[in-house]
Amino acid sequence: MGRVPVGELSRYLLGGRLFTNGCLTSFRRAPRSRLVGPASPTLRPFRSFHAAKEHTEPTQQQVQTPPAVPLRKKLKDEAKLARKQGKKKSKADSQTVEGWELTVGIEIHAQLNTPRKLFSSATTSFNDDPNSHVALFDVAMPGSQPIFQTGTLIPALRAALSLNCDIQPISRFDRKHYFWWDQPSGYQITQYYQPFAKNGHITLLARDGIAPEDGESVTIGIKQVQMEQDTAKTLAHNDNTQWLDFNRVGAPLIEIITEPELHHPRTAAVLVRKIQLLLSTVDACVSGMETGGLRADVNVSVRRTDDSSQTLGTRTEIKNLSTIKAVEDAIIAERDRQIRELDAGRRISSETRGWSIGSTETRRLRGKEGEVDYRYMPDPDIAPLIIGSDLVAHLKKSLPVTPDTELDKLISYFGLTPQDAVSLINIDNGARAEFFYKVLYSVQDMIAADDLDGEGADVKSYAALVGNWTLHELGRLTTSKAGPLGTVDLTFTPDGDCAQVPDAELSQLLYHLYRKHITGKVAKELLMALYLGELEDGVRSAIDTHDLWFKEYSLEEYEALADEVLEGEDKVLQEFATSAKFPQGKLMFLLGKMMRAGQTERIDPANAEKVMRTRIENLHPSPA
Amino acid sequence: MSPAVLRRPALSIGARRLPWRGPVLTAPFKHQWRCQSSYNHFVDAAQPISPPPVHHEKPFTLAVKDNIATTGFPTQCASRILSAHPSPFEATVIKQLRARGASVVGKTNMDEFGMGSHSVNSAHGPVRNPLSDDLSAGGSSGGSAVAVRLGDADVALGTDTGGSIRLPAAYTGTVGYKPSYGMLSRFGVVPYANSLDTVGLLAKKVQPIRSLMFDTGLSKENDLNDPTSLSLSTRKRCEQAMPASLHDVSSITVGIPQEYNIAELDPIIRESWEVAISRLEEQGVRVVPVSLPSTKEALCAYYVLAPAEASSNLAKYDGVRYGVRNEGPDAVGETLYTETRGIGFGEEVKRRILLGTYSLSSEAIDNYFIQAQKVRRLVQRDFDRVFKLENPLYEPVQFDLSDMAETTDLEDKQGPVQVDFILCPTAPTFPPKLSEVKNQSSVDTYMNDVFTVPASLAGLPAVSVPSKTSGMDLPSGLQLIGQYWDDKRLLAMAEKLEALVAP
Repeated sequence: MGRVPVGELSRYLLGGRLFTNGCLTSFRRAPRSRLVGPASPTLRPFRSFHAAKEHTEPTQQQVQTPPAVPLRKKLKDEAKLARKQGKKKSKADSQTVEGWELTVGIEIHAQLNTPRKLFSSATTSFNDDPNSHVALFDVAMPGSQPIFQTGTLIPALRAALSLNCDIQPISRFDRKHYFWWDQPSGYQITQYYQPFAKNGHITLLARDGIAPEDGESVTIGIKQVQMEQDTAKTLAHNDNTQWLDFNRVGAPLIEIITEPELHHPRTAAVLVRKIQLLLSTVDACVSGMETGGLRADVNVSVRRTDDSSQTLGTRTEIKNLSTIKAVEDAIIAERDRQIRELDAGRRISSETRGWSIGSTETRRLRGKEGEVDYRYMPDPDIAPLIIGSDLVAHLKKSLPVTPDTELDKLISYFGLTPQDAVSLINIDNGARAEFFYKVLYSVQDMIAADDLDGEGADVKSYAALVGNWTLHELGRLTTSKAGPLGTVDLTFTPDGDCAQVPDAELSQLLYHLYRKHITGKVAKELLMALYLGELEDGVRSAIDTHDLWFKEYSLEEYEALADEVLEGEDKVLQEFATSAKFPQGKLMFLLGKMMRAGQTERIDPANAEKVMRTRIENLHPSPA
Repeated sequence: MSPAVLRRPALSIGARRLPWRGPVLTAPFKHQWRCQSSYNHFVDAAQPISPPPVHHEKPFTLAVKDNIATTGFPTQCASRILSAHPSPFEATVIKQLRARGASVVGKTNMDEFGMGSHSVNSAHGPVRNPLSDDLSAGGSSGGSAVAVRLGDADVALGTDTGGSIRLPAAYTGTVGYKPSYGMLSRFGVVPYANSLDTVGLLAKKVQPIRSLMFDTGLSKENDLNDPTSLSLSTRKRCEQAMPASLHDVSSITVGIPQEYNIAELDPIIRESWEVAISRLEEQGVRVVPVSLPSTKEALCAYYVLAPAEASSNLAKYDGVRYGVRNEGPDAVGETLYTETRGIGFGEEVKRRILLGTYSLSSEAIDNYFIQAQKVRRLVQRDFDRVFKLENPLYEPVQFDLSDMAETTDLEDKQGPVQVDFILCPTAPTFPPKLSEVKNQSSVDTYMNDVFTVPASLAGLPAVSVPSKTSGMDLPSGLQLIGQYWDDKRLLAMAEKLEALVAP
């Protein structure tokens, strides 16, 4: 996908320095798989697969009763949302309320990925020692002045371009006044009168998970994107004392303001998630919602569907939603509250409300009478921001592939399920997808090298396998199966290198699995050993050393194995003869027994099932 | 309240909570010239902690207005809220002057944050005019003007937002120069109204100012720390657009703005203005009447814009990071910093913060702030119309005759005569008595700025030179205004005028 880090791009565009990696060479090169050394018997004792077989037997059952897909922590939110959606579908649909129309507009604040603050050369930081990155201007020292840091423009422009905005040739900075201790100058510098980007849009698709009522797709207008300063961090010390960390003050944010064109809570949540993904794809922002790098305010109003006046109802604003789930939940709660109020004959007052995670009601923060008049004033020290069309054109050209284009390719070309494709590009900030491509292209190379029929294997046949393993099998490593050993999280570099499971090793493994040189079960064992660092000499050598190559039983051997298993199972066999419906479960039970009786690395479950099935089919009156 | 009484408790509050290291806290206020001076023009002068003078062949002494950041002295802006504030950095302009031989002798008293015309709105008490006891020294850079007048400093730094250098210069018989906006760095100058604030110089004569600005290359230096300091390339372009020097004065035309001949103008000052005109004519200078029709609205626009910016700039004084704060916690009851700000700011500052807060409020901004910005643009166009030279910041504009006042005399078919400089009094009256100032309404006080404000709104260079008066012991101030970045010729012309009218 050619994710050019924003720092490099900005050094190039604004400092005239060339990339160390070179933007011209950032096209994908298929990573060469490390050659696995010749099989030499290793003296080092390592985890025996046969021993492991007994060892892992209890968990075998867990595998057979498919667990909820255990993705990593970063997926948790998403999984929760998905589960909730699953639940909701079965219940009454929460997306609409009969007789009412909901209208939602969203403001998203995201921290730009830049080395310096917006108006001072202090470095931006995350979790550094408090007050260690503070310039005179950051604490509003009398006599200090704002110096716009041009580098902040690059990620801001990329973000705006990814949202299809028109970049304004001239924009300006204004002061928004309010007193709070996290705001040293008594005002925030923002772009109120003339923002740098306007008139964008974002399209949300069914596969993004929008409300079914929105159909196949819905396009939401982006009113404007503006640059502004972040505030300081307040740390409550005790009841009467607040400590202030000025590291964050003045850090550059963008605020993205949508048109009030959302009508379903889930679609609103999906919008936030998709914008988060877009921002991370174009490397515009430091982090997502889960680390506090993204916050959303939502404006909610309702009106009766038979209202002919065409005007929207009075809106309320819910501030500072910090998770995607909170966006949906808060909108539903606020919509329902407004409808209750109106049904009871009361009015909605324009006010600011808050939401706590896990609650069921929004709460009033301040009413209109308590609204601050921000007294927006053009900042007299800061010159208008003039953005050249050449810069915009270059950034447009160098913008990475959008997630939608990438998803389309993952689904229709590589044959991943929409769900897997979405997960793949969402987790690890895109690094997992990079890892996927690395493994995929290595496997492709290996297959091409020994392509026997010369026709080339269908890319979908192995891409889906690679996708499944990169997501689900890797996901499993850090959860149940590894037990206490699996406490080390998988870590991915932005380039898609994984420290715990090297892509070269995994592609070797998957190549052999795809070619049926090893069985799935062996492959899983190998993956676990790889993850635990037990494969000193790599996958290939481990297979050789322990003779794990798949030497499948002959038909006769399968049949002998089946007979051996059926011995003493008359009671079970009886069921095949008597029950009206084909007892699939019993077949699986017998098959399981057969798998355990035989040597794992010699059984292909599909073939074993075939044999077992023929053995018992004639017992049942209506063969399945 | 005597100033000493006022300062002691404020200092103790400041010293207790300020975290800065350095000599400021350990040895402040050892030598207080203010105490030795009966004019109250220095707030602090402590030679031992003054930075050592840079060795220079032409050393000179420099007094610094207290709203310009110095590391050797506190920077208090004559405000209680910044009592003993030790600035952690030094203003660029001070560095530049020290490199040119300046040794800083002290910080000068002023109107709090520059808000005032008589240097009486000060936490340190009023500055007195050495020309005659009990007279206003003018403001807000009154302390700097007095320091120069008394010879305590060869040159003084002041700031001019609406006349704050020129007015005290006129009242004390000194020379006060406000450069083009963007020429001298404002980094380290505590802002009152950023779009108007200009750092400038005072001296007894024009010559040392002109020499510093143009013989030492000061006017050519850009400061990357000040976003409003003109870039080197723009400086070059502006400089190329201006004649390099003042040729023969007989080729010079000076305009006399008709709108400045107001009823409130003191007859003696009018007379000295007339004398100056005839002396110039004797030298062969052509003197013609010009029209600046937006002058009447200029003062109103100034008193909308300056307080608006001030209310914003002064929002930072909350006692959280520096300055004084009240004893109790913030955010008790309904308000956040009301206690601290209530204690820290003086009356005039509070008045302007309220004015500015109102004119920026969503209900008033269109009628006040936006209107005032439009007037400001008209004022600037007025000047561009009468000056021979184009304003180098703008594309050349053609002015339509129908835009001009009907009374405008036409030179020829091309339109009215255009001029090199504008000559007018600096202030409409002589310095009032301090006792009168006390009883003046704030609007009466604002009237003093009527002749100085237009050049500030337009960002133009202006200089006040003292002129002899007949029948009065006091000098009057005559103001020359030039086109943007025509500072070099302006000071050369001021030197000639000075020679003709000096008391």
